Amino acid sequence: MFSSIKDTIQGLEKQKYICSKEIATTIYLALKMEKPVLVEGPAGVGKTDLGKCIAQALGYELIRLQCYEGLDEAKALYEWEYAKQLLYTQILKDKLSKILEDQATLKDAVNKLSTEEDVFFSEKFLVARPILKAITNETPSVLLIDEIDKSDSEFEAFLLEVLSDFQVTIPEIGTITANKKPFVLLTSNNAREMSDALKRRCLHLYIDYPTKELEEQIVKLKVPECGNYLIKEIINTIHEIRKLPLKKDPSISETLDWAKALALLGCEVLNRDIAIDTLNFILKYEKDIELVKKNIYTIIVH
Amino acid sequence: MLYDKAFISEEDKAKGVFFEFAEVLKKAGVNLSIVEIMDMMQALPLISIAEKEIFKQTLATTLVKDYTDIPIFNQCFEEFFQRKKGNDSLLEVYTSHTNAEDFIFSQEEKSLLESLIDDFLDSHPQSFFKKSNEYLTKILIDEIQSSEAGGAIGLSLFNRRSRYASGSSDDSIQELSPQVFEAIMGLLRRRMFERNMGSAIKQREDYLLNKYIYQLKPDEIKEMRELIKRFGQKMKNRISLRKKRVKRGSIDIKRTLRRNLQYGGVPFKIFHRDRKVDRPQLVVMCDISSSVNQYSRFMLLLTYTLQSLFAKVRSFAFISNLVEITDLFREMDPERALNSIFNDTNFTYGWGSNYGNSFNQFIQNYSDALTSKTTVLILGDARNNNQDPGLDSFIKIKERSRNIYWLNPDRKHLWDWSDSIASLYIPHCTEMREVKNFLDLSHFIDTLFIQKR
Repeated sequence: MFSSIKDTIQGLEKQKYICSKEIATTIYLALKMEKPVLVEGPAGVGKTDLGKCIAQALGYELIRLQCYEGLDEAKALYEWEYAKQLLYTQILKDKLSKILEDQATLKDAVNKLSTEEDVFFSEKFLVARPILKAITNETPSVLLIDEIDKSDSEFEAFLLEVLSDFQVTIPEIGTITANKKPFVLLTSNNAREMSDALKRRCLHLYIDYPTKELEEQIVKLKVPECGNYLIKEIINTIHEIRKLPLKKDPSISETLDWAKALALLGCEVLNRDIAIDTLNFILKYEKDIELVKKNIYTIIVH
Repeated sequence: MLYDKAFISEEDKAKGVFFEFAEVLKKAGVNLSIVEIMDMMQALPLISIAEKEIFKQTLATTLVKDYTDIPIFNQCFEEFFQRKKGNDSLLEVYTSHTNAEDFIFSQEEKSLLESLIDDFLDSHPQSFFKKSNEYLTKILIDEIQSSEAGGAIGLSLFNRRSRYASGSSDDSIQELSPQVFEAIMGLLRRRMFERNMGSAIKQREDYLLNKYIYQLKPDEIKEMRELIKRFGQKMKNRISLRKKRVKRGSIDIKRTLRRNLQYGGVPFKIFHRDRKVDRPQLVVMCDISSSVNQYSRFMLLLTYTLQSLFAKVRSFAFISNLVEITDLFREMDPERALNSIFNDTNFTYGWGSNYGNSFNQFIQNYSDALTSKTTVLILGDARNNNQDPGLDSFIKIKERSRNIYWLNPDRKHLWDWSDSIASLYIPHCTEMREVKNFLDLSHFIDTLFIQKR
């Protein structure tokens, strides 16, 4: 557990995750208040990484659940092992005649049968999927529910119980409550709106593209082989490019790729020719590349 | 509202500020429930409110759950907490007071006065507060004096004057010193302002959304663009949520059998066929002559914000000639695209709209845009300048598309007035609709998604 907001920033920095005060505040509060966090923002600003780094910084186990269309509770919460259950019924058939041999009437047989243990629906045949795993874990864990916006809205309903009470109800068995409350982080790319019920149970965090200073720190930390001067130039350029009306803005991860590439090429300053040749590291659409080329004289000074 | 009051009376007065802030947000249209407010109260003791960024983020993270509301939150926050002082120490903002009243009233008196003012504000209808501040303050003081709770403070207020005014204490007790009067008026004014701040933002939005588009002033149009972006995003989120809900279709027998082979053919798991999501194809034809061009701008801006909801959007602009503008939007952001349309000379400005010619051109050149799934939207006032209506082409467009809607910015009773030939087209439209303001436009787009196939 982080002891303060400052400690949160430092703890994450040790995991090579530079975060703003805003992010640290929300994370710190969520941990203190034992509330899930819903993280939104454009792609590539480090939403998923945040979850990973929190887990590492706190020494918690990371349990990750990638959402997709059609994800159901059998893949996210728990599932019965049907095949084993089938085998069990077959064993049962064989054993049954033996057990019931000495019963005279049908009624006796039923009575005898009901005294036997019923394991058909029991934890023996239960397969724990990520959410149940996070709940039943002996040590505290970080449950990262990635891209929740890709799941169907029915799936959200399954989550509600976990998010508010940290428990899972299995109709055949009963309610399983968390041993150690997991820290739940949900990420969303805004493909669709989350339901109010879900949002109410979470703290909300919107991560936008970082400020120049912050992004500079991030690059310095992750790609130290790039000189400070070059990093400054890269960041200035990226921020200029983000001002253009692009189809897809370059994200932090793309800034890092670019910095790595430029360092590998042995650049010391970022000039127009090199920038144009390597634009495909940061821009993924032909149209965007053309647009930047057109404006290159205002973006890069030399 | 009731619960706010209950808390305030028990909790320390500073907390009242936060409830008030929540109230401001609510009035500004942010969706807040008691859960959010309780979260905020739980979070605040955990942080140091002296640090602005942290304090602000704490409020944002607990209260604002919809990222499209963040700009509103920021605006409210700045106004609510910064306005009082240029100083950056927030702690000071709500624990100390630099206004005149602080030299005159003690802490207890002030908080008692504030609660009396709140009662005063609650007990009168909104319209009452349009009167002048002096008048309102007089009424307030009268009410304080006559009320039981006000008795004590009433006395101390009037004694206070002896410290400031030179008159002797045996003057009529009804007379207040001007300083005290001023101070009370200041307090009252501030409370009224704080209470109205949130609703002012919301009212401004409602006002813009409801205003006749052609009456918008240039700076209001600028404001509208931001608003349309936010509004469009919200609409998009809402519609895509609705679409997801109807996705599940009937049982997919093939897949169910195949997947359940591992269980000896016993159907443990049922698979459903995905129902095809009905994404309408859209053809938008906008009259951009001066009489309706503002409508067209907003219409295009909205359709392009919502672009991802449609299978395909093709847009055309016309005055006397028709030009396809789909590519413009593909290349640049809607704002710039719009401007370049209006700078384009292909439309022969000044000739006035020619609907007939434009429909003929559409059929000749672009009829490949029409399929049985296409919805055609026409935005214009049907003022054809006494030229050929091109009805044959119009009927052809109708026959080749699923629906054809006509959005008419003119008011209904003006539809056939002067050179408008609206009623000539009406029988061939699925519907002709009056659109006065942005809300009408967005309502219409909304209905496109609820229709049954």
